[in-house]
Amino acid sequence: MKKLISIFVLLVSFAFTSNSYSKTEIHWWYGNSGFLGDVIIEIANRFNDSQDEYMVIPTGKGSYEDNMAATIAAFRAGDQPHYSQVYDAGAAIMVAQVKNGVVIGFEEMAEKYGISVDADNYIPGIKNFYADGDGKMIGVPFNSSTCLMYANMDILNEVGIEEVPKTYEEFEGMAQKILDAGYIPLLQSHSPWIWTENFFSRHNLLMTDGNNGYDDVPTTTLFADTEAFVYHWTKVKEWYEKGYYGYKGRAWGDNQAPFTNGEAAFWFGSAASFGGMKGVLPNFTTNPIPYWDSVTGGKEYPTFIGGAANWILNGHTEEEYKGLAKFIEFMGSPEMDLYYHNMTGYAAVTKGGIELAETINFYRASPYHKAVGDQLGLEGSTIPGGYRAGNWPQIREVIYENVEPMLNGDISVEKALGNMDKGAAKLLKQFAKTL
Amino acid sequence: MKKVQFKSYYSQYFFLAPQLLILLIFLYWPIIQTFKDAFTMQDAFGFGSQFAGFDNFLFVFSDPSYFTAFKFTIIYSFVITLITGSIGLLLAVQANKVLHGKNVYKTLLIWPYAIAPAVVGVMANYFFSERYGLLHHLFNNLWGFNWYEDVFDAYIYVIIAGSWKQISANFIFFLAGLQAIQKTVIEASIIDCKSNIRRFWTITFPLLMPTTFFLIIINITYAFFDTFGIIDTTTIGAPGSETKTLVYKAYIDGFKGLDLGSAGAQSIMMMIIVLFITIFQFRYIEGKIHYN
Repeated sequence: MKKLISIFVLLVSFAFTSNSYSKTEIHWWYGNSGFLGDVIIEIANRFNDSQDEYMVIPTGKGSYEDNMAATIAAFRAGDQPHYSQVYDAGAAIMVAQVKNGVVIGFEEMAEKYGISVDADNYIPGIKNFYADGDGKMIGVPFNSSTCLMYANMDILNEVGIEEVPKTYEEFEGMAQKILDAGYIPLLQSHSPWIWTENFFSRHNLLMTDGNNGYDDVPTTTLFADTEAFVYHWTKVKEWYEKGYYGYKGRAWGDNQAPFTNGEAAFWFGSAASFGGMKGVLPNFTTNPIPYWDSVTGGKEYPTFIGGAANWILNGHTEEEYKGLAKFIEFMGSPEMDLYYHNMTGYAAVTKGGIELAETINFYRASPYHKAVGDQLGLEGSTIPGGYRAGNWPQIREVIYENVEPMLNGDISVEKALGNMDKGAAKLLKQFAKTL
Repeated sequence: MKKVQFKSYYSQYFFLAPQLLILLIFLYWPIIQTFKDAFTMQDAFGFGSQFAGFDNFLFVFSDPSYFTAFKFTIIYSFVITLITGSIGLLLAVQANKVLHGKNVYKTLLIWPYAIAPAVVGVMANYFFSERYGLLHHLFNNLWGFNWYEDVFDAYIYVIIAGSWKQISANFIFFLAGLQAIQKTVIEASIIDCKSNIRRFWTITFPLLMPTTFFLIIINITYAFFDTFGIIDTTTIGAPGSETKTLVYKAYIDGFKGLDLGSAGAQSIMMMIIVLFITIFQFRYIEGKIHYN
């Protein structure tokens, strides 16, 4: 239905363009659907209403993967949009395309067209994630999330737990109580993202060689070689066998549904996930993701910034880029940043947006929004704020392919992590050949 | 009959041109591109393209999940062919016997054939949903069903989803085959043999062989290529990569993983496999079939 509406909106907006043919069109492709897609259309509409020189036309292409594939196919056919949303796992591919003239870096664009919201306007963690080896920002930060822990407070009250766990040790201590009361203690929706990539960042550990790919092109992942990571999955497997952790397949929604329906105490998902829970689940909170106290020695480290950025694609006219620059400026304003943060739960990514949230006491009115900023704003990491590893979408697939046989006992934890490393190394080498 | 003769050759080519153009654009051009992709190494956007020899093929062969997909595709096409063929035949024989309301039965049995595989997958999704799935609950009561991590259970899921629609196709062709058998043959056989079952296996079934052979090819092709939508809407290849068909794997690597070289190599491998299966069928099975 939502898709139909957006198609309708698009058709209507095309109808209007024929009336106002003097406007310069800017095409923006995105990979969000449902409510998040509607917000994107709303942003474009607000920009279009705010001035009458340019017209941003948003087009939804399905999922993140679909949009990336569509953008690439369009580029190869010489029909690319001006602006496209590409997700975290595709960042390395996009950054590598600057030298081929596919992508125009954000900083270059900001300089050339005098965009007032330049790189310094964005919070440091985000700057690094979408920057190249020299620290120059390439992608324009957009929907920035991270993984969070959702807790059903009614269940916790029922079994007499007062505080949500901060560490996995604490979780382990309370899981049996929750299980005995007839609830699933823990679910999570994305093993590669939450329990692999962000496991490493949360514990300040390097995930690949070459300093997560920031210093050198990575040749291997460090899954089986990282003691803490082996320990974590050994524990997860133990929890799965005891019923502390429930695995509901790879579909995001299948793992979220029991939590939304009040059958699970904790669920790990995205910062932007609470929209669908409000009004369904009476009493839930968003919290930072737990960490192993025994690994970090009580210290907390920030997770990677997930979600996606918008990338400027080459091959269009000066006039159109001027319009795009205006649009980037519009989206980077404190008001729009906070609007998007408020609507979706994605993090506020500009310094201005965060200041504005503080000025108006935003988090007192809406506590759900707070955890994402708290977790991403942690300091003290010695690893880079991201990873530059190519073929990552396929490496995520390799991770999934080994998690399942590990959980059902076909292969041991060590073997599964070893297989992941082997599969990832092959894909990383394959990617290195195309650079 | 009088032969129509064209005065010049050009007019023939003129009339053939649209057809040939469509073939060129939609058949030969993609095949050429696939070969090009398979033998080059390039990044997602097509840059850094260089001749890679058989590197992409070696890459595919060193991937254990390729062989898992190969194994699954073989099992899947065998089981689907067997299930859809036998149930389709059973239904056709029974429907052929019905005297009253024949068309109602026929229409109802043909219906599922009109449903797109992706829609079938979504429907199967409901049946196998852990929350409200009828079949999930039935199997779960029988042996603790969990397709998320159990390979056998996942097989059952995709086999039921994949067979359901194809049974209709088998039904139609078998029914048509049965109706094409001459009444006199059947009547003569009734005089010679009392047993229904024996008569079926010695007279009716051999006369249905051309249909059966045709359906075997159709079913294998279906399991190889058309089940893509079903896999994508049900297990997405999980657990591990145990329910990935070769087509699905090529799609994941090519479009989600953006590795066109590997996907191209896999497509060519698939072409070779299908070629071998077809040659085998025509060589060794068709020879045993009598069309008249």
